[in-house]
Amino acid sequence: MRPSGSPPLPAPVVVIFRTLLPIAEREEVLSDLQDEFARRLTLDGPRAARRWAWQQAIGSMPALFQRSWWRGMTGFEPRANRMRPGGPMFESWIMDFRYAGRRLLSRPTYALLAVLTLALGAGGTAAIFSVARTLLLDPLPMAREEQVGVLWFTGSWSEAEFLHLRPEFPGFQRMAAYRPDDATLEVPGGAMRLVPGIAVSAELFDVLGAPPLLGRTFQAGDDLAGAEPATVLSYSLWQELGGDRTIVGKPLRLGGTSRTVVGVMPPGFWFPSPAIRAWNAVPLSARSNSGRYTLVGRVADGSALANLDGPLRAIASAVGERFPAPAAWDKRKAPAVAPAREFFVGDVRPSLVATLAAMGVILLIACANVASLMLGQVDARATEMAVRAALGANRQRLIQQLVLESILVGVLAGAAGAALAMIGFEVLVQSLPLGELAENARLDWTVFWAAMLAALAAAVLISIVPGVALWRGSSLQSTMATTRTGGIAGRGGRLEGGLVIVQMAMAVLLAAGAGLLIRSVANLRAIDPGVETRGLVVIDATMPTRLAAAERRRAILDVLPALRALPGVTAVAAAQKVPLRGSGDNWGIRVRGKPDLPDATTAFRMVTRDYFQTLGMPLLAGRNFDPSDRESSGRVVIINQALAARFFPGEDPVGRVLQTFDDQGERIIGVVADAAEATLTDPPVPARYMLYEHVPPVWHQVTILLRTGSPDGIPALLAAARSTIQRESSQLAVQQTTTMQSVFDLAVGAAGQIVTLLGLLAGLALVLGAVGVYGVISHYVTRRSRDYGIRIALGQPPGRVVRQVVGRGVGLVAIGSALGIVAALAVTKVLSSLLYGIEATDPVALAGAVALLLFVGMLAAFVPARRASLTDPARVLRQ
Amino acid sequence: MKPGSEPQRVLLGSLEEQVMLAVVRTADEAYGMNVRRELESVTGREVTIGSVYATLDRLEAKGLVASSRTAAADATSRRVFAITGAGARALTQTRMTRERLWLGVKLQRLTDS
Repeated sequence: MRPSGSPPLPAPVVVIFRTLLPIAEREEVLSDLQDEFARRLTLDGPRAARRWAWQQAIGSMPALFQRSWWRGMTGFEPRANRMRPGGPMFESWIMDFRYAGRRLLSRPTYALLAVLTLALGAGGTAAIFSVARTLLLDPLPMAREEQVGVLWFTGSWSEAEFLHLRPEFPGFQRMAAYRPDDATLEVPGGAMRLVPGIAVSAELFDVLGAPPLLGRTFQAGDDLAGAEPATVLSYSLWQELGGDRTIVGKPLRLGGTSRTVVGVMPPGFWFPSPAIRAWNAVPLSARSNSGRYTLVGRVADGSALANLDGPLRAIASAVGERFPAPAAWDKRKAPAVAPAREFFVGDVRPSLVATLAAMGVILLIACANVASLMLGQVDARATEMAVRAALGANRQRLIQQLVLESILVGVLAGAAGAALAMIGFEVLVQSLPLGELAENARLDWTVFWAAMLAALAAAVLISIVPGVALWRGSSLQSTMATTRTGGIAGRGGRLEGGLVIVQMAMAVLLAAGAGLLIRSVANLRAIDPGVETRGLVVIDATMPTRLAAAERRRAILDVLPALRALPGVTAVAAAQKVPLRGSGDNWGIRVRGKPDLPDATTAFRMVTRDYFQTLGMPLLAGRNFDPSDRESSGRVVIINQALAARFFPGEDPVGRVLQTFDDQGERIIGVVADAAEATLTDPPVPARYMLYEHVPPVWHQVTILLRTGSPDGIPALLAAARSTIQRESSQLAVQQTTTMQSVFDLAVGAAGQIVTLLGLLAGLALVLGAVGVYGVISHYVTRRSRDYGIRIALGQPPGRVVRQVVGRGVGLVAIGSALGIVAALAVTKVLSSLLYGIEATDPVALAGAVALLLFVGMLAAFVPARRASLTDPARVLRQ
Repeated sequence: MKPGSEPQRVLLGSLEEQVMLAVVRTADEAYGMNVRRELESVTGREVTIGSVYATLDRLEAKGLVASSRTAAADATSRRVFAITGAGARALTQTRMTRERLWLGVKLQRLTDS
């Protein structure tokens, strides 16, 4: 007994003992300690007494810890009964964890399915969403992107126009101009190669609000004539050049001239596309009317892109007055500004919405799945729960046990899911054509954990259901009775049924979406691009920009014979632009003898003599280019069908004269079939083709085409062509090598990439759905095994048992599919902008999705059905 | 009975043995703190209450001691330990084993030198 008035034990000592001692002996020990402490206080003084108390506390810790652990670990109960309600949580938790572990081990199928469902749901969605986000170019590499916009007439502002407006752009704080400027990079001791880059005005980085990693960005004056040529490198290019921090201030040979590296951008920065690796300040000239610039600006503080109508009209009229232009190029037509995200990322909203929706659906399926699996367990445990309750377990303890089991499943699934997310992400990044975007790809762990938590929350909630059922006063007797009769009088399984229906509905939704995209991509692929894509090698090359047009022409024409001589090559050609890569150059057209034609432009292509044979474009009328067409001979042109139809309706165009450069003009010698000169899905555009020899300007970029008879030998041919070009020409640098097939795949576009992801998601949904059907039907069969035993004993043939069980599974899937179709009809509209040649309500895609689901559902139901048909009546009835 | 054919031959660790003996010595008053005090006063070593309880628990789990509560319902109610028949046998066996080992051992010369 503690004498009143004696000083108490030090508080921490009391805390330690309270924590480590079970409630049964806590008060006793503390009061004894207090007595002893008081005795020592009087005998030895307060110092010694306190020392003793601390020694007792700290010295007791190992033994008491060990005891708690040991008891919890063995689950052994001494008669002291510290396991009864209200005992220390720590021990009961360990016991329950061990029990949950043993339960999972003894039910490997259930454990595997639950863990796999959660892992696939969370890991899969995290991996796919991370890739999707990368594909959708998030985030934009600029500060306060809502202030940044791109002016109309993109890609066709001239230096003169920009410089005229430069002193003041109404409505904007800053405006920058840029144009494509891929440049050859020469490193001492290394092969010359091409670096994708852009030429920019000095304001660019200020407009973007993007600080450099090293050095500086451009400053006023860098783009004036006579300024030292400056360049800013991307992080990845800097890394490739050795990652030396002292690179700032050093010269680099870019585009055949020496440029000073003034800065390096941080990793992850890209503009205007992730492929760009160098930004070059170029001198701007007020006399240059060449118009290839795009203008990007940041609005003044306090104003917004949306209400710039007035300032834009002011810009338009200022340009229009100073630089009069033909109607087609009059910038006053429709002044507008495109928000940065829309312009640089393009209209990816449908893709994003589709991916996000698919992800949400997958997660819901996973949740429903885990929930139905847990529910199955709940019924199986009714007897156990009733016995536990009868033996004195209280609610808290019952629920704790159930929750701990789901948490254990969650922990296992977390580990498996994290591994799955990482592996899946790596595989996706490797296998998808991400190109330079792969550098920006990061696995999104937030999504992973959010998905994990959502699925786990569903599992925990569901696991509490039996505990709640027990609260609701279903007595031991009734629970036992229900279990004995094999569940016939028990819960009807409506909740599980409902969950499967929901899962199936969502799986149908996903499969339908994926089906639509697959059909749409198939439609795109079915379009005839007008060229023979198989066995065609595409080599993009570039020349130093300082070369004159004649030198460039020479470089191109001189390298072709050597390439033609390579083994396996049947035809060789060069062109400044190949089909399926956007509209490219459009030049004004006049037709001699038709002065009343309105101003118009058509696609204009510079080609070499064998261009049409190489691409496989058939000649429809007249003749092809032949050796008699030389630089000195009269200029000739070949037109396509669309041009003939538009400018010479009902006439024979062969022999007529087009005037592109001067009055002398060029004679039409032939008509070829249409090819996809712009994009795959546009109707054929009018196009005309002239020989390099007959066109005054020659761009510094050229595409060389090799036709080979053996498509298997393409990789070897690419390597041989690359080394041949390197050997034969000192001016040409190979930029990239590809095949016409890849160009075609690229032209199929975003839908083609998203279709891969959506297809994966739909596959995931199918697997999860099948797991759900299997789990529910399997549980249904287990609960009714007595029922089946009796039926079989009474003579029902096993085949009918199988039919009944599978019928139930298929019934659930059918209801789910019906709901799914309704949902799909409502939801797939968001996909319509990604679809080509197919309605969002395409019956084939929907029917295909349903058929697939029914098949998978039937398969998943068949396994437990077969088990039911094999029920041994004697064994079941004896239970 | 030949050694080795005894049923349930249990040998006690030294702390176990000491705690059990202290339980026997304190008889009716064999609760945790008293056992600890007894050990301390006889052996002259500091013993922590935690290790006493842990040892008593372990002995109880092995069935060598048993515990019961004194009647009072408040904090003065104590868990009192007593050794069981098996506990007494284990103590005897432990002692006999040790004495067999001591047979013929003369340490006189070693301690003298």
